[in-house]
Amino acid sequence: MIVELFYRRQALILGTLSMIGLLVFWQIAVDAGLINPFFISTPSQVWTEFLVQFEDGQVAANVGATLYCFVWSMGLATVVGIVLGMLAGWFRDVESALEPFIWFKYSAPTVAFYPLFIAWLGYGTPTIIAIAFLFALTPIYANTLSGIKNIDRDLAKAARSFGAKPLDIFLQVALPGSVPVMMAGLRLGVGRALTGVVVAELFGANAGLGYAITYYGQLMQTTKMMVSIVIVILLGVILTQILSFLESKTDSWRVDSGR
Amino acid sequence: MAQIEIRDLGIDYRKPKSNEVFSAVDNVELSIEKGEFVTIVGSSGCGKSTLLMAVAGLVNLSRGSIKIDGKQVTGPGPDRAVVFQEASLLPWRSVRGNVKFGLEMQRWNGGDLNERAMQMIRLVGLSRFSDYHPHQLSGGMRQRVNIARALAVDPDVLLMDEPFGALDAQTREIMGTELLRIWERHKKTALFVTHDIDEAIFLADKIVVMGRNPGHIKEVIKVDLPRPRDEAILDSDDFHSLRKRLRAHLAEDMSSMQLVKEVA
Amino acid sequence: MADMTAETTATRQVSFSALRPSREAVVGTLAVLAFLVLWQIAPSMGWVNGRFTSRPTEVFFAAIDVFRKDDFLFHARISLTEFVAGFALAIIVSIPLGVLLGTSKIARYLIDPPLMALYIAPTLVLLPIMVIWLGIDMAPKIAVVFLGAVFPIVLNTMAGMSEADPRFLRMARSFGATKLDIFMRVLVPGSLPALLTGIRLAVGRAVLGVIVGELFVSQAGIGYQINLYGSAMRIDRLLVYVLIVSAFGYTLTILVRSVENRIRDWRSK
Ligand SMILES: Nc1ncnc2c1ncn2[C@@H]1O[C@H](COP(=O)(O)OP(=O)(O)OP(=O)(O)O)[C@@H](O)[C@H]1O
Ligand SMILES: [Mg+2]
Repeated sequence: MIVELFYRRQALILGTLSMIGLLVFWQIAVDAGLINPFFISTPSQVWTEFLVQFEDGQVAANVGATLYCFVWSMGLATVVGIVLGMLAGWFRDVESALEPFIWFKYSAPTVAFYPLFIAWLGYGTPTIIAIAFLFALTPIYANTLSGIKNIDRDLAKAARSFGAKPLDIFLQVALPGSVPVMMAGLRLGVGRALTGVVVAELFGANAGLGYAITYYGQLMQTTKMMVSIVIVILLGVILTQILSFLESKTDSWRVDSGR
Repeated sequence: MAQIEIRDLGIDYRKPKSNEVFSAVDNVELSIEKGEFVTIVGSSGCGKSTLLMAVAGLVNLSRGSIKIDGKQVTGPGPDRAVVFQEASLLPWRSVRGNVKFGLEMQRWNGGDLNERAMQMIRLVGLSRFSDYHPHQLSGGMRQRVNIARALAVDPDVLLMDEPFGALDAQTREIMGTELLRIWERHKKTALFVTHDIDEAIFLADKIVVMGRNPGHIKEVIKVDLPRPRDEAILDSDDFHSLRKRLRAHLAEDMSSMQLVKEVA
Repeated sequence: MADMTAETTATRQVSFSALRPSREAVVGTLAVLAFLVLWQIAPSMGWVNGRFTSRPTEVFFAAIDVFRKDDFLFHARISLTEFVAGFALAIIVSIPLGVLLGTSKIARYLIDPPLMALYIAPTLVLLPIMVIWLGIDMAPKIAVVFLGAVFPIVLNTMAGMSEADPRFLRMARSFGATKLDIFMRVLVPGSLPALLTGIRLAVGRAVLGVIVGELFVSQAGIGYQINLYGSAMRIDRLLVYVLIVSAFGYTLTILVRSVENRIRDWRSK
């Protein structure tokens, strides 16, 4: 039992150790004068600064602003991506018509459009949401499309032999079958939406984690900047973990119902 | 002395993620003469593969010993070659590349590798396909390549783990006859695991019947059918009685399996 | 799975014949044409402000201008240098690292968490700190390209190595293969497709890295030009540069994919 626990947790134990090791190394390297703290600060300074920013409400304000844009862009990308993906997955011509645009979107540097968005939508939040929306759209659309397209042919055939109409097949076979692939798309979308928000904030915002990073970056205040960088990284991990968890839920649900 | 001497063999597996041990094979005693064709039958999970892999030197022994020509087996060696059940051809190599693989690993220095490989490919009747890749071949052809690869390194002992297990009945029969044809030429000692009773009898000089929990040898049956053999032998009386005997053994095993299930 | 769109083009059966182009191609072309027409007439019809949207014709003439004057080659060379340097560095670092992680479980357990965190997290947020460390010339862009490209390659190489079919390993051992043999003859060829997938995914991130890096702060490069024309509201020229970058990323992705497909093709399905 204990051995089993160790084997199961081996990854976690070693992973935690390596994280701690990294932090300790960072701290010691600076303390020992190997690295100039101006360049990278230290974990203890970052922690102290985090508490300060936490006390005066900066953390809450920045995280709030970033999450606000994140939720909007992710929500929009989910709705648009899934609807378009379903249409394209079900109707061949819709897919063909959308394909050139999706390819352009995939290979174009979305951030380059930010002057355009500022002209169309105004400075700040709307532009940030638009850019993050475009960042997140591709994987959600693409996974929904492939999920619907690669439906279980045998199941569809069986359903048809029982007299199921195309709509029934779509609702009963294609849709449930593509849920796990869609969830994977959402998981990828979450990471990209966050990237979109933060990158857009680097370029033009009045609040948010990306804004704080550029702001303190321009002032060359490494410690203050590090606080927001670390928060962004943690946020990315946490959000992706949540989606991975949901993904495993839907996956197990699918296996159960398949029996 | 026999060529292969297995004495008091026992193999334990550690159950995954715990330190409990599970005995897969125990108390196995077996002697195999040079040039003998031995088949191993038994119900699924009774340790046939484990026994074969032990002779191949691919699993560690927990008890007892395996000797080949008087030498203790401690790992894989050039005196043995294995034909695996399926999916052991490297997909990125051509037929010839796959046949050459074993030669390369053993640093073959008996002449040109390509020539040696082609010779083996001809032997299994695949000359026309030597540049094909595995996914372009049928299941039967892939197993021919597998056999060619094992024969290429010129082993003293050929170890085969259900090489025809994934094939349909007809192909299986053809491959069996083919294997015998090749074997008659070289008379290499062969150890052949199978589920198929007819196959076991058709090929064998000696059939090893295994039982389960833990894997052990229940009986060793001599097969005195004349060689060379062909399909006609399948209808002979001797064959029928052997088949009956083996069936009874396996049925016994199946019912004990049922019992285990009910108790559990 | 990040780019399933691409997958669909590859898996589709293209039935090219000189007389009858495929339905998909026709529909796709029509859609693009319809979009172009709409874009062209929308400002004249007063639906949108042409100053903010430009027109296809304007973009076309701007493209001619950009290629003839505008020091296009000078800026392109700078961006390309940043891209190539960062990407090369990423390949040099990531392949050995991926191999190490793919073959050693302990190393994997140790490095996996920080690696995953950096793979998931937007590495572009490190841009401001790169600027503090490395200045405003090419170096921080190279660093950002490197950071964008390195993780997909490491993770895919690692997966390709560690997910090698155990049956192949056993087969190789049965012929007395040494550890080096197994590595060179089984693991390396076996993980080649995964490595290429990693490189393909890295291309998009690296291109984005160059442009974002230059948009953020620079004195030259394609991103610099985009920024310049963006703030001057020269939408036509901005779009020309964006299209150039897209074409570059697209071509490179397609190129890597075709190698990838070729390799997968003469392997099993
Ligand atoms: N690597 C392993 N670790 C733990 N247990 C194993 C391992 N390999 C096999 N076993 C167990 O050992 C027993 C014998 O397995 P083995 O593969 O030898 O059976 P088999 O007779 O070849 O079965 P089959 O006819 O299905 O191939 C089985 O109960 C199996 O679960
Ligand atoms: Mg077996």
